[in-house]
Amino acid sequence: MGATLTYVRLNLSRVLIIVGALAALGTWYFSVPMVDSVFKEVNAWQINISSFTLFTGLMTISMRYIRAIQRRDSDIWPFQAYALVLIIVWVLMGLTVGMYSDTYQTAYLSTKITLHIAILGQIIFYFTSGAYRTFRIRTLRTAALAISAVLIVALNAPWVQNPFPAASNFAMWLLNNPQMAASRTVVITGGIGSIVLGIRVILGLEKGAQRITEGE
Amino acid sequence: MIQTAVVEQLIRTGRSFQLVFLIASGIAVYYAYNVAKGGKLWDIRPIEALDAIGESIGRCAEMGRPVLVTPGISSMTSSSGGAQMLAGLTVLGEVAQQAASIGVECTTNSSNQQIIIASEAIMRNALTAAGKPELYAPGKYVRWFGGGQFSYAVGCAGQILEEKPGLIIFMGYFLADTIVTGETGARVGAIKIGGTLGAIPFLAMMCDYLMIGEEMFAASALITKDPFITGTIASQDWIKVAATAVMSIGVILYAVGIKTIYTIMGI
Repeated sequence: MGATLTYVRLNLSRVLIIVGALAALGTWYFSVPMVDSVFKEVNAWQINISSFTLFTGLMTISMRYIRAIQRRDSDIWPFQAYALVLIIVWVLMGLTVGMYSDTYQTAYLSTKITLHIAILGQIIFYFTSGAYRTFRIRTLRTAALAISAVLIVALNAPWVQNPFPAASNFAMWLLNNPQMAASRTVVITGGIGSIVLGIRVILGLEKGAQRITEGE
Repeated sequence: MIQTAVVEQLIRTGRSFQLVFLIASGIAVYYAYNVAKGGKLWDIRPIEALDAIGESIGRCAEMGRPVLVTPGISSMTSSSGGAQMLAGLTVLGEVAQQAASIGVECTTNSSNQQIIIASEAIMRNALTAAGKPELYAPGKYVRWFGGGQFSYAVGCAGQILEEKPGLIIFMGYFLADTIVTGETGARVGAIKIGGTLGAIPFLAMMCDYLMIGEEMFAASALITKDPFITGTIASQDWIKVAATAVMSIGVILYAVGIKTIYTIMGI
């Protein structure tokens, strides 16, 4: 029974991947109504399953937080309790007034946007700390990196840009030539890599994410 | 004549070259795989970041600290980040298995709920493959912090401060969140290994080892140390050479006024 279940789980996942991938590829390359309808059906299932995974995600986070609050062996349990209360409040509010109501949207935007801006404001400190470690000059290569970084900063700082227009021009040249060439190389090779990864998945060679083991 | 017209109607305008390229790539991968199965061992350039993963897991075992693998903030179906996410999930499976086999705990997280479900399955399978299925419990190894970029950044930073991992692997699709999480990782003294396409400057600044471009997609095959799957990386190089040749010839021909390749590619 165990072996049969393993076989079904392994092959079912492969069949689903192949059908889903071929339908998506088919509708991109071919103008065939039947292929389009298969893709629409697969996509509808994907959307439905995604909605359900949101519920599963909520259950996972709730179980974890409830366990932590019961044990209280970490300093952060009050924050977890607070997060749990907020989750319940938001779900109840969504169920009662509706997600697109003015009340919900006002409450959502006034908290989410505020918090996002707070994190964005803090990023500069993380940046500065990270840049301090990265741009320390130790060798010729790190010197070139640090000088290039300073020039790019100068490009975006009018108080440097205006008195020294040459620095700005050189920074622009760095962005438009060596940087552009390197970033396009990354994009092209990354694209080829993702194609090969996709083919490995369709051929069933990439087993990391769908590795089903015996004896479960 | 009629057949040609039917084919032109079947294939969407401007995508014939893409289709031929995809089919040729598929044939190359399958051929390389079969050649490897026939006994040929391909000589693949070592990736320093991949070698560092094994060493760093050993370091975690010595220090008694866990490993954190994060596949980023994309969904599986995203056109921009789906492939990167998939590469991250594959690496997660292998790292979790390697870590479990020497008694190191491996945790993961994501901002996307689809990935959470997949990660739970991967963690369970990895622990089973390592011979320790009894260690698995739902919600124990996988964290979810909601769908936003910065809620993920803050949640992941909190996880890093709480668990103090000895190794953090950033493998997938990231944005500015890596600045927060990567720097927090530096604060707790973790070795950081990264692989992504879009946020490379951020990861380059934050990480000790970095996989650039195709390396992250090759990593998911190379980390398995399976010679057959590794053979497909050789085909990746063939495709790269072919693509470079087409681009070079196209550029030269276009420069002298011949637009044949330009037209064939449907640009």
